[in-house]
Amino acid sequence: MKKKGIIFSGIAAIVIIAIIASISVSQSVNESLNLDMGQTHGTVSTAMGSPILGSDSAPITIIEFGDYQCHQCYNWFHNTRDSVVENYIETGKANLVFVDLAFLGRDSPKAAAATYCAEEQGKYWEFHDLLYTSQEGIDSGWANSERLKAFAFSLGLDMELFDSCIDSGKFNKRVQFNINEAKKQGASATPTFIIVNSNGQQQKLVGAQPYAVFKDVIDSMI
Amino acid sequence: MAQMIKLVFADYRYIILAVAIFVGMLIPLSIISEFIFLEPYIIAHIPSGGEISFFLILVVSALSGLVLAMNVYRINAFRNSPKKKMGGGLFGSLIGAAAGACSCGPIGFAVISTFGAAGGIATAFLANYEIPIRLVAIAILAYTYYATVKSLAVECKINT
Repeated sequence: MKKKGIIFSGIAAIVIIAIIASISVSQSVNESLNLDMGQTHGTVSTAMGSPILGSDSAPITIIEFGDYQCHQCYNWFHNTRDSVVENYIETGKANLVFVDLAFLGRDSPKAAAATYCAEEQGKYWEFHDLLYTSQEGIDSGWANSERLKAFAFSLGLDMELFDSCIDSGKFNKRVQFNINEAKKQGASATPTFIIVNSNGQQQKLVGAQPYAVFKDVIDSMI
Repeated sequence: MAQMIKLVFADYRYIILAVAIFVGMLIPLSIISEFIFLEPYIIAHIPSGGEISFFLILVVSALSGLVLAMNVYRINAFRNSPKKKMGGGLFGSLIGAAAGACSCGPIGFAVISTFGAAGGIATAFLANYEIPIRLVAIAILAYTYYATVKSLAVECKINT
């Protein structure tokens, strides 16, 4: 009887320790990602999207739904984004959140997940920019796991952490959440932008539109 | 060749047809390829790096207008004329239109959503090889134009 009691209390102790350990691990993951699950801009949940580029308190938020393999996103990145960043984000008038609509090929979700592995090491935007600078044909191998690891290496990331992050598929659900959110918002092309002001007024822009259009829309909403 | 163009387009109805085909291809292809945006207001924009793509769309549309109008003339003027060359013109126009039309836009999104991985492979092919595919379309249209002019010259001689 005494023996049984010892075994039972031993098992109970192991179970309690396991529960405490799992709670503390999940808390540490949440802390390291610093995700605010309630974060929304207008009607869009941006909780699982990119970190905010620019001032958190900017009156305008530009939400970009994009795919790292999309050549129109590449066009927007290289032709329009710099002017938007220079005139609106760096001046505190607007901020930018990137939400993945990774639908174009098998490497699209991998590339999106890799950006969050880079985010863990504080280099989300550097990785994002590097992907749009290095884009080649859809599923041509430029964004396969090996190349993504090579990009991480070139940014000086901790490769042990990054490799285990990529290989574990840790952020696959986060990317899928973003894809679902993009679809819920009616995005059916990349890039699609939703521009939201502090009153909650929203304007959707579809495609790699020129800077003049962004300027007109943002100025009319400030 | 110039004589045949003069012969066909002496009838203004064929000029209207050619222009209609040209505009009817150029505008939708420009919208699909994001050279023209309709919302929030109409704006045309050729981004840096998109010049070749736009030029090829222009050439495919112009050749389609020319070739298809000449073939309609040939069929109307010589009722027993073979219709194969018309098919070549349509084929070239379709290939030229399909290249690059998919990928990031709503068409690509719909194709991938409907057909899954197979749709993804198809759209990836059309996007990755946009320029070579448009060049093939131009080659088909140019050959069809050449064959049409030759055919018209022969048929005109026979019928005069």
